[in-house]
Amino acid sequence: MHLTDHISDVQLNEYLDNESAERTQIETHLSSCDECAARFTALKTLFTEIASLPELELTHSIAARLAPTPSLQPQLPTWLTLTATLQAALALITVIAAAPFISRLLPAIQMPSLTDLFLQLQSQWTIWLDALSTFQLPTLPQIPTLEISSLVLALTLAGVSMLWLVGNGLLLRNQMK
Amino acid sequence: MTASTDRDLIIRARRGAAGGDAFGELVTRYQTGVFNVCYRMLHEHATAEDLAQETFMRAYDRLHTFDLEREFGPWIRRVAANLCLNHLESQKITVALDEERDADESVRPEKQVEVKERSAQVRNALSSLPPQYRAVVELRHYQELSYDEIAAELNIPLSDVKSHLFRARKILAEKLHASD
Repeated sequence: MHLTDHISDVQLNEYLDNESAERTQIETHLSSCDECAARFTALKTLFTEIASLPELELTHSIAARLAPTPSLQPQLPTWLTLTATLQAALALITVIAAAPFISRLLPAIQMPSLTDLFLQLQSQWTIWLDALSTFQLPTLPQIPTLEISSLVLALTLAGVSMLWLVGNGLLLRNQMK
Repeated sequence: MTASTDRDLIIRARRGAAGGDAFGELVTRYQTGVFNVCYRMLHEHATAEDLAQETFMRAYDRLHTFDLEREFGPWIRRVAANLCLNHLESQKITVALDEERDADESVRPEKQVEVKERSAQVRNALSSLPPQYRAVVELRHYQELSYDEIAAELNIPLSDVKSHLFRARKILAEKLHASD
């Protein structure tokens, strides 16, 4: 750009947008050319007017309008919160209290070996198949039953109850977070 | 207690309900800015509020893919500008430049008492611009994006950004000068 050339409107726009590579030449020219300086001032005034547009305040909060989104998760009542906490605590205490008894009872339980279990299951299956092959209506086949000792049954029930208590308590607590 | 950063709020909001009302806090922080982007683009209060709400809903949907290294404020304002541009173009209110120039007198603020006269004139002038011109003015003057960034944001050539801005300012200058 020659110093004698007038600055184009495009150049002035780019200069004010900080996108011009000829900043020094433009500034030098503006300092000596009243015509270009006047156009520059007019454009700068427009920039100021656009920038000085005041921000409007919202009449209704968008956060309030969107409130259902984050609060879709229903709030649990206090009594349920307390019950869940109590349930979890009780389950924990039960486990701790039952530990010595369980450790004493465990050796008393005679656990059959896996081979024995498999053989027993296989013979039961054979018996059941035999029963099925001789099945005649309306006589119902006699389904063999496994013998379960009362001790095993009691321990299983205690274990399942504890698992239910702990699991339920933990699930509810997780939901309340 | 120090206020959570935008980044913290986004991470919490990504956890859904478990993150509490983190997204609500983000909305509270940026709702005025986003609404003003929409209002400058649309010049219609109710529609601007609806589009601002829509912007936050879109943002919520895209929150899991949001790059945490970016700033949330500029990003959500750009989302708003794009949404408004799409809205304007879908409304097919784009009119030829000459028609726009003649239509100046038909756009008058209904409640001039509530705003300064000059601001109303600037808003009127802005609202008379074709949608693409409004978008480049919004992104350049209010969101301070560079020419390259505007081109990338609006998916238009750099030459279009320059010409849109140049023509938009020419129209604005004429309208505002005429109203002096």
